[in-house]
Amino acid sequence: MNRPEIIGQSPNGGQSPSHVASQKPPVKAAEEPVVEVRNLGKRYGEFVALEDLSLTVMRGQILGFIGPNGAGKTTTIKILVGLARPTSGVARIAGIDCARDSARIKRVVGYMPDGFGSYDNMRVREYLDFFGAAFGIPRRQRVPRIAEVLEITNSTYMQDRYVESLSHGMQQRVGIARTLLHDPEVLIFDEPANGLDPQARIEMRELLLRLAASGKTLIVTSHILPELSRICDQVAIITQGRLRAAGSLEEIMRNLNQRRTIEIQLPAGQELAVAEAAVRDRLGDDGSLAVSPAEGMLRFETTQTDDQLSDVLSSLISAGVRICQFRELQTDLEDAFMSVLQQQRAAESLSPEKA
Amino acid sequence: MLAILRRELIAILRTRKAFVLQLGVAACFVGLIALRWPTDGRADLSGTRSGEVFRLFSYALLAAIALLAPVFPATSIVTERRRGTLALLLNSPLSPATIYAGKWLGVLGFVGLLLGLTMPAAAACYAMGGISLSGQLVAVYGLLVLVAVQYTCLGLLVSSLANSADGAVRVTYGCVLALAVLTLAPYFFLQQSAGWLSEVAAWLRCVSPIPAMMEIVGQGDIGSEIAWQGPSAVARFLILAPILSAVFAGITISRLRYHLLDRSRSQGLITDNRGLGARTARRAFFIIDPRRRSRNIGDWVNPVMAKEFRTRRFGRSHWMLRLIGICAILSLFLAFTVTTGTVRWELEAVGGPLVLLQVGLMVVFMPSLAAGLISSEQENHAWPLLRTAPLSGGQIVRGKLLSSLWTMLLMLGATLPGYVVMIYIQPTLWLQVVRAFVCLLFAGLVALMISAMVGSWFRRTAAATTAAYVAVLGLFGGTLLIWLARDAPFGFRTVENALKWNPMAAALSVFNLPGFRNYQLVPISWWISAAIVIVCFLVMRFRVQALTRPE
Repeated sequence: MNRPEIIGQSPNGGQSPSHVASQKPPVKAAEEPVVEVRNLGKRYGEFVALEDLSLTVMRGQILGFIGPNGAGKTTTIKILVGLARPTSGVARIAGIDCARDSARIKRVVGYMPDGFGSYDNMRVREYLDFFGAAFGIPRRQRVPRIAEVLEITNSTYMQDRYVESLSHGMQQRVGIARTLLHDPEVLIFDEPANGLDPQARIEMRELLLRLAASGKTLIVTSHILPELSRICDQVAIITQGRLRAAGSLEEIMRNLNQRRTIEIQLPAGQELAVAEAAVRDRLGDDGSLAVSPAEGMLRFETTQTDDQLSDVLSSLISAGVRICQFRELQTDLEDAFMSVLQQQRAAESLSPEKA
Repeated sequence: MLAILRRELIAILRTRKAFVLQLGVAACFVGLIALRWPTDGRADLSGTRSGEVFRLFSYALLAAIALLAPVFPATSIVTERRRGTLALLLNSPLSPATIYAGKWLGVLGFVGLLLGLTMPAAAACYAMGGISLSGQLVAVYGLLVLVAVQYTCLGLLVSSLANSADGAVRVTYGCVLALAVLTLAPYFFLQQSAGWLSEVAAWLRCVSPIPAMMEIVGQGDIGSEIAWQGPSAVARFLILAPILSAVFAGITISRLRYHLLDRSRSQGLITDNRGLGARTARRAFFIIDPRRRSRNIGDWVNPVMAKEFRTRRFGRSHWMLRLIGICAILSLFLAFTVTTGTVRWELEAVGGPLVLLQVGLMVVFMPSLAAGLISSEQENHAWPLLRTAPLSGGQIVRGKLLSSLWTMLLMLGATLPGYVVMIYIQPTLWLQVVRAFVCLLFAGLVALMISAMVGSWFRRTAAATTAAYVAVLGLFGGTLLIWLARDAPFGFRTVENALKWNPMAAALSVFNLPGFRNYQLVPISWWISAAIVIVCFLVMRFRVQALTRPE
C-alpha cells in the first residue's frame, strides 16, 4: 500500500453530511502543515517499533491516530513530543525538529499521556500552578491563565479539590487544562476517552471540538473508534509500526475497496426462502449472503453498484416479496479499522515468508 | 488460608529484592565468620574468640531481622487495597482472620528462610566452641523468631492504616525504631529512682529486643548503671513480645473489613470560603491553616522545590511547624533532664543524648523525605509530564534536593536550644558544640544524599524507601556494630577506620563520650562525609540526566 499523506481537510470529516453538521463545528483549516512526519523509523535493538511512517497534519485539524495495542502509536507520539529519538526519518512540529530541538518542542506541544500523573496532597489549582511555573509563565500571567484554562475545560468548580480524589473524567479534564497552560499550537492526547462514562465522553468530545475550533491542531489516539469518528477530520491507521491507511474516512474506505453491506428486512419469516432465492440469483458469485429467520432479515456483502442493487430490489418485488426495509449499513471507523486488519492478516498469510 | 500463604510467599520469593536479600544475608554472615575463623595453630580453649564472633553475629542478625522483617508486611495490605485485590479477598468466603493468617505466615515463612540461610554461619560459630547450644545459640534464634513475629504484626497493622506503600514503610521503620531504641530511654533516666515509674520504665525497656539479646550473649545491660535484681530481660521480652504481637494482630484483623475500602473522596474544603469566625478560629488553632488557599509559586522559586513541599506530608507549613516544635521541645527536655544529672556525669556527656536525638531524627526522616524524590514521580506517572516541561535535569535535581535540605536544616536548627543551654552553663564548650554541629550537619547531608541517590534507581517508592533505610542504617548502625565489637574481635585501628565513615560517631567523639573519646575522628570524618555527599550527588545527577534524556 502506498503511504498516503493527510493533506487538507476532507469535506465532511469522514461522516455523512447530516451527521457532521450535528457534531463538528464548521472550522476552516488553514492550508498550512503543522505536523510533518517523514519516513520515521524507530528500533529498539532488533525490534522494529516504527517503520517508514509519513504523514502531515494541517493547522486546526483533528487527526485520529488508531491502531491495536503495540502498533506504535505511543512511540510515534513520544517522538513528536521529544521523549524519544527516531532511529531514522524526521518529525517536525511548527517547523521545529522534534529530535534535535526537543527543548523548543516542549513549548509548542501540549501532551496528555495515558496515565494522568497526579501528586498526593495537591489541589487542582496548585497542580496547574506548578506546571505553569515549570513552563516559565510569570506569576502575574499565570493566575489569570489558570482561571482561563479551568473555564475552557469546565473545571473551575473543582479547583480546590485534591487531584488524587478526582474521578477519572475530572482528572482527564484537569489533564487537558494542564496541556493548555502554555497555549501550545499542537495538542496530543493519548487515549483521552479511556475509562470515561458516556456523559464524560460526550463532554470530552465537545471539549476537543471546541479546542479544534479555536485553531489548535489535535492528534488523538483512542480505542473507542465511534468516538473518534465523530470528531476527526483525518484518520491514520497504524499496525505493527507501519502506516496502513490515512486520510479522511471516505478516502480510506475507497482505497480499501470496501464491500457494501445491505440489509433487507421482511415483515414475515415465510417469505425468506423466496427472497433468498431471488437475491442469490442476482448476486451470483459476488457477495456473501446470510439469512436470519429470527430477525426476518437477509444480509449480504457485495461490490455491486447502486444500479445493480436497484435491480436486486426490483427482482424481490417482482417475486412478490413484501419488504419493510432495504438499506445499506453505514461504514464507520470500526469497519475501516477491521478491514485494514483483515487485509494485513490476509497479506501475511499469503506472503512467501509465512508460507 | 493455604492459597493466600502460597501466593504471599511465592509473590515475595519471585521478586528480585527477595533474591538479593537472601544472597546478601547469606554472604554477609558467611563472610563474617570466615573473616574471624581461627587460622593459627593454637586452640582457643576458653572460647573467648568464638564468643566475640558469636556476639557480633547475634547483633548483626538482630539488626538484619529488624531491618528486613517489617518491609514485606508493611506494604502487604496497603498494596492490595490500592490495587483493588483486597476487595476481591474480602468478597471471598475467606474470613479476615484467615486472610491475616495467610499473609502473616507468608512473611514469616520468608523470614524463616532468611534465618535458615544464616544457619551454616551459626553452625560454624558453634563449631569454634565456647558457646552453649541451648543457652545461647537456640536462645538467640528463638529471640529472633519472636522479634520477627512482633515486627511482622506491627508491619501488617501499619499497612492496614496507611494510605500508600511508601508511607507504610516509613511509619513501620519509625515504629520499629521507637520500639527498639526509644523504649530504652525512660529506663536510662529513671533507673536509680524508686517507685512505680522506675518499674514501668524497666518493663518498657524490655519491649526492645536489645536488652534480651545482650543478656543472652553474655554482655552487660544497655544503659544500665546498677545491677538489676528483678526478672531477666529475656523473660520479660518473652512475655511482652507475644502480648504486643497479639494486640497488633487483633487490631489488624478487626480492621480487615469493608469499612477499610469505604472511604469518601475529599471534597477539598477551603477555609477562604468560610466565615470570618471560622477563619479566625482555624488560624488560632493551626497558626498556619492547612485548608487555606495557597499562594502561587513565585517567579524566582524553583517550581519543583515548591511542588515537593506541597505534595509531601511534612512539607506543608503546618506540619513543618509541628515537627520543629517537637524537635525543639525534645531538645530542651533532654538538655534539662541530663544537666540535672551532672552530679553523675561530666557536662560534655550531656551532648551525647542530644547527638543521638538529632541523628535519630535524621536517620528516621531523611530516607522518608529523600528516597522517593525520583521514584514517586515514576510511580505516579508524573515523570513524563516533568520531561515534557521545559525543566532541565539540573533544575529538577536542585529543586528536589533543596526541598529535603531545607527540612533537614529546620529540624537540625530546632534541636539547637539544647546546645545553647550547654554553652550557657559552660561557655568553654562552644568550640566542641560548633564541631559537633558540623558533624551533625554532615550526618544529615550524608543521610539525605545516600537516600536520594539510592532511591533514584528504583521505580517504586516503597522499594526505594526500604533500600534507602537499609543503606542509611547500614552506614550509621553497621559502623556502630563494629564499634560494639571493639577490641574483640576488632582491633582499635579497624574500629577507628570504620567510625570515620560515621559522622554521628565523630560528633560523639567530639563530646568525649565514654567509648568514643579515644578515637581521633575529626576532621577526617568530615572529609569522608563530604566525599560521600559529592559522589552521591554526582551519581544522582547522572541518573536524572539519563531519565530525562529522550529514549
